[in-house]
Amino acid sequence: MTMAATSHDTSVGTAAPSTRKQPDRTALLLAPGVLWMLLFLVAPILMMVYVSFWTQTTFKIEPTLTLKSWVTFFTSDTYLGALWTTIRIWLIVLVSTLLVGYPAALFVGLFVKNKTLSTALLVLCVIPFWTSFLIRVLAWRPMLGKEGAINMILMKIGVITQPIEVLLFSELSVIIGMTQIYCVFMVGPIAFMLGRIDPSVIEAAQDLGAGFWRIFRTIILPLSMPGVVVGAIFVSVMVLGEFATSAALSGRKVNLLGNIIVTQVGSLKWAFAAVAGVVLTILMGAVVAALLRVVDLRKEL
Amino acid sequence: MNASGIKLGLGFYTALFIVFLYGPLAVLAILSFQTGPEGGPQFPIIEWSTYWYKHLFGLTPPSRIAPLPIEQALVRSLVLAVMTMIVSTVLGVTAAQAFRRKFRGSGVVFYLIVLGMMVPGVLVGLGMALVANTLGIDRHWWGTAFVLHVVYTFPFAFLVMLAIFNRFDPSVEEAAWSLGVTPARTFRKITFPLIFPGVLSAMLFAFTLSYDEFSRTLFASGRDLTLPLAIYGTFSVEVHPNVFAFGVLTTLFSFALLGTYAVLMGLSVRRAKRMAIQEEA
Repeated sequence: MTMAATSHDTSVGTAAPSTRKQPDRTALLLAPGVLWMLLFLVAPILMMVYVSFWTQTTFKIEPTLTLKSWVTFFTSDTYLGALWTTIRIWLIVLVSTLLVGYPAALFVGLFVKNKTLSTALLVLCVIPFWTSFLIRVLAWRPMLGKEGAINMILMKIGVITQPIEVLLFSELSVIIGMTQIYCVFMVGPIAFMLGRIDPSVIEAAQDLGAGFWRIFRTIILPLSMPGVVVGAIFVSVMVLGEFATSAALSGRKVNLLGNIIVTQVGSLKWAFAAVAGVVLTILMGAVVAALLRVVDLRKEL
Repeated sequence: MNASGIKLGLGFYTALFIVFLYGPLAVLAILSFQTGPEGGPQFPIIEWSTYWYKHLFGLTPPSRIAPLPIEQALVRSLVLAVMTMIVSTVLGVTAAQAFRRKFRGSGVVFYLIVLGMMVPGVLVGLGMALVANTLGIDRHWWGTAFVLHVVYTFPFAFLVMLAIFNRFDPSVEEAAWSLGVTPARTFRKITFPLIFPGVLSAMLFAFTLSYDEFSRTLFASGRDLTLPLAIYGTFSVEVHPNVFAFGVLTTLFSFALLGTYAVLMGLSVRRAKRMAIQEEA
């Protein structure tokens, strides 16, 4: 292996001296981006890990290493509760975006044969993303509130006589909000994968007498799985780091790890914020690593 | 196979899905025309008016409802988005250009870059605030927040350019080199015009993502608010329809941006076609 590599290197060096400069050029092209990421992404995260071991007193932190903040985190009901809530909300939103998004992706990616129409439908799904994320979150308030649009409509058509109060400022409102905001990240990759399925494969199955459900189970679903995984990565990364939707729609009833970090930073408890941050990083890393085991992101490009 | 029935059902579902996507925004747009200042952010509409739009621009008599601090924030957000757009597009193009040649450790570098869009904003924001605190650096939207915006948008630009280069035919470049044109001039005259649609997309991505970004900005921007932070500030107080009116206006602004992008894209595609025809002739 090493022998082959060296002989290859020398042959390149002797045959074409002009290409010897190429590795330098690659390094030169990569240096700014890699440096930027190391300085402003990796260093801050390492700093966060380091600070999570600092000593937190009421108003400041000192760089004396201790496990105290970690012990506080894992013995406090508030923090542990936030960890479980984060995991629960993440799982529910993941499932709900998949359930809500998949049929739409199926229609756009597979059933709409007209290329222009399917592109137009996808664009229609993406357009809301040009409205500020925070405005989209806020838009759920007049929708779900006691005097909100949904309650008003349901009362008008006589389905209910009393407004449903659980719609807003509850865990349900957070889940509804997040599902709407993030489901497009599920629809996009799935529709993309479905669009790549060779129609003749489905035709062949049809000719052989397979019904829709059988075709769906044995052909469509397996071939769309990379899309599902990519969508799951997008949704997971975004939901796990969330704090704004729960802040706006739960009335402080739902505390995610993100909310804990924001509160702790607000009261200058940097070490506690850092511990929550490290826990969130580990959780996210585990989720993404697990999902990346199923599908190679570079190959799907 | 009962495909037509399923197709009909799925079509109906997709229509519902689109209502689900747009419903809240439609309600928000309707309520932005609520009468003011006594009209609240809920139904029914007491009286249709443009009061809250005037309120945004400070054209209404003073009331107990504080105006949104958007004027300065808007300028900051736009400047920040332009800075982010330029830097992350340049980084994205150079990094993707490097990836056209196989090199050792490419997997590590790839994931290092993609990590920027993977790590939740609140984490990098916290990390950056800690670094700034420790080193005694002042946090500013044009400094600590700006570098984090690039961390976020550079991976998008990089992935867009990577996808463009994957479909790129290198033979035109080789032809130029073999004719003795320098690599720099080849890039300027041949490569860049051909990848320009991708560059435009990368720019659009970077601009809109940065313009809307707030979780990274929250801890890293210090005292001065950017636009999303000004909106986030309203979360903790009572919401008035002025926020809704503002939402409608920013959406219109985004559409203008999208329109500009579409026009530029159309022009560059047409130019690419014209070049292709000249080549054939």
